[in-house]
Amino acid sequence: MIIRAPKDFWSGLMFLTFAAIGLLAASGYSMGRGGRMGPGYFPVALSAVLALLGAILVLRSLVLDGEGVERIQFRPIAVLVVCVLIFGAMIPKLGLVISLSCVTFIAAFAGRETRPLEAAMLSVVLTVLSVGIFVYALRLPLSVWPSF
Amino acid sequence: MDVFSNIALGFGVAATFQNILYCALGAFLGTVVGVLPGIGPVTTVAMLLPISFTLEPTSALIMMAGIYYGAQYGGSTTAILINIPGEASSVVTSLDGHKMARMGRAGPALGIAALGSFFAGTVATFVVSFGAPPLARMALQFGPAEYFSLMLCGLIAAVVLARGSIVKAIAMVVLGLLFGLAGSDVNSGVRRFTFGFQGLADGIEFVALSMAIYGIAEVAINLERKASEVAVAGRVGSVMPSWADIRHCIPSVLRGTSLGSVLGVLPGGGALLASFAAYTLEKKVASHPRTFGEGDIRGVAAPESANNAGAQTSFIPMLTLGIPSNPTMALMIGALMVHGITPGPRVMTDRPDLFWGVVASMWIGNLMLVVLNLPMIGLWIRLLRMPYRLMFPAIVGFCCVGTYTINSNVTDVTVMAFFIVFGYLCLKLDCEPAPLILGFVLGPMMEEYLRRALLISRGDPTVFVTSPISLGFLIAAALLLLVVALPAIRKKREEAMVE
Repeated sequence: MIIRAPKDFWSGLMFLTFAAIGLLAASGYSMGRGGRMGPGYFPVALSAVLALLGAILVLRSLVLDGEGVERIQFRPIAVLVVCVLIFGAMIPKLGLVISLSCVTFIAAFAGRETRPLEAAMLSVVLTVLSVGIFVYALRLPLSVWPSF
Repeated sequence: MDVFSNIALGFGVAATFQNILYCALGAFLGTVVGVLPGIGPVTTVAMLLPISFTLEPTSALIMMAGIYYGAQYGGSTTAILINIPGEASSVVTSLDGHKMARMGRAGPALGIAALGSFFAGTVATFVVSFGAPPLARMALQFGPAEYFSLMLCGLIAAVVLARGSIVKAIAMVVLGLLFGLAGSDVNSGVRRFTFGFQGLADGIEFVALSMAIYGIAEVAINLERKASEVAVAGRVGSVMPSWADIRHCIPSVLRGTSLGSVLGVLPGGGALLASFAAYTLEKKVASHPRTFGEGDIRGVAAPESANNAGAQTSFIPMLTLGIPSNPTMALMIGALMVHGITPGPRVMTDRPDLFWGVVASMWIGNLMLVVLNLPMIGLWIRLLRMPYRLMFPAIVGFCCVGTYTINSNVTDVTVMAFFIVFGYLCLKLDCEPAPLILGFVLGPMMEEYLRRALLISRGDPTVFVTSPISLGFLIAAALLLLVVALPAIRKKREEAMVE
């Protein structure tokens, strides 16, 4: 088996995965009958269509030639995801100032040409600006400092 | 009520000091963020969404509209000055616009873009005022079956006009619909696709999804590319085009405006299709088509007028039918829902102030663009030189805070992290996220209409083909699919997209 169109192949596989998750999860919901459509009806129908489309993509990728996938660089995406998770973990307890300055500082290292000092300064500026915009100008209900 | 008293009502709402201020602020912020290289209009609107949440709905929507126009204009500025179109709709502008900039005529290019847009915006405001009420009246007659088929048709049309593989685009729509269903089912109360997460009971937060895909996932993709020095084209010169330029452009602006107004209404069309079509039309009618692509000012005037007209008339299906014709409109619907307003034909009768206020603010927004942006061109140029390494931490921080503040819910932030990975994979695999966003917004509504249609027909699925209107939409959808599946047209479509 030779994959001729890697982009199509992997996207087909991704759709198949989501379809499988959808079908598995939705199998627990009632389908309903007749005019009374249950909560499972639409999700099951959609998942089935998605599975079909995924299968078409996968099969087609074995026959027709297509583009290859560009190399995945792990550093940017990994750093960014970790950043967001850290923010989620910090914000409820530690408040905006600490969480945001951490996140913007760490995020800077997703790039290759980051200079630590510059990143630190940038994070201070961004934090001050954000507190100004979100807390004082927009009055969003955010705690600025840690609360225990 | 006739159209003029409606418009008067609209100006009464939009022309209050407060709302003008929000409109101006929106246009300004939209341009500031939209001008930054690597940030397109959708990203701009997604990032600035949380700012509007504390306002009351009318002001919020007015501000969002201002942001949208500003972002669009900012995108054209980058297209002209540094040849990096922020969004597909300004790709065409960069063809002649950037050539003009390289010949030292960046000023007139920017000027004609603003003036053409303003004219188009004025006309489109009237198109919306005259076109929306009959459409809304018609839509009020629709039953659930008609609505379901209309949405299906709209989604198919959006897919057909998207770039890239059609199978992938349809799969993205279906996946979007599925994502949209997560959370408590309104009818049975069953929690679907929550996987035990308490925070998912209300479904996947729309802002988290759009910020993840259009904000942070895009940052990851941009960071993978080699950083390139931005070369801002030489002297900008006076932004006022000469009389000769203006006279030369009048027919192009008129053609662009009419084409844009019509195409903007179509689902999936909006600004993108309008600008492409306008440019092609100009090339066809021009007596010396050779000059196009070599810095012809008409090549800037026509697509810019068209994309602005299209951007504005794409509000028609959004406000009257509740159907987004592009991702930006999907974001607007998301914003309205946050305020507890479900877009649809009822908005016009239930909230005339909101509806007509937004229509009037479209015109004010366009005026702001001319008044604010032309004198500030120097500032935009300085922003263009901003290195990306200083910008992306700001995007990440803004998206985090923005997502969290909506419900003060950590689950939303976690959901965002998941969709960053998902969005990244999609972008890597050439799966356009736009159809996903449209599907996501329409998912719950489509299910509801399907349920009601089947309830009324007592489970008889033929209800979708026995109603003539519904049948018409279904046939239209089938035709659209058939058309793109035909090899000859498929080739042409690919050529058009490449160009």
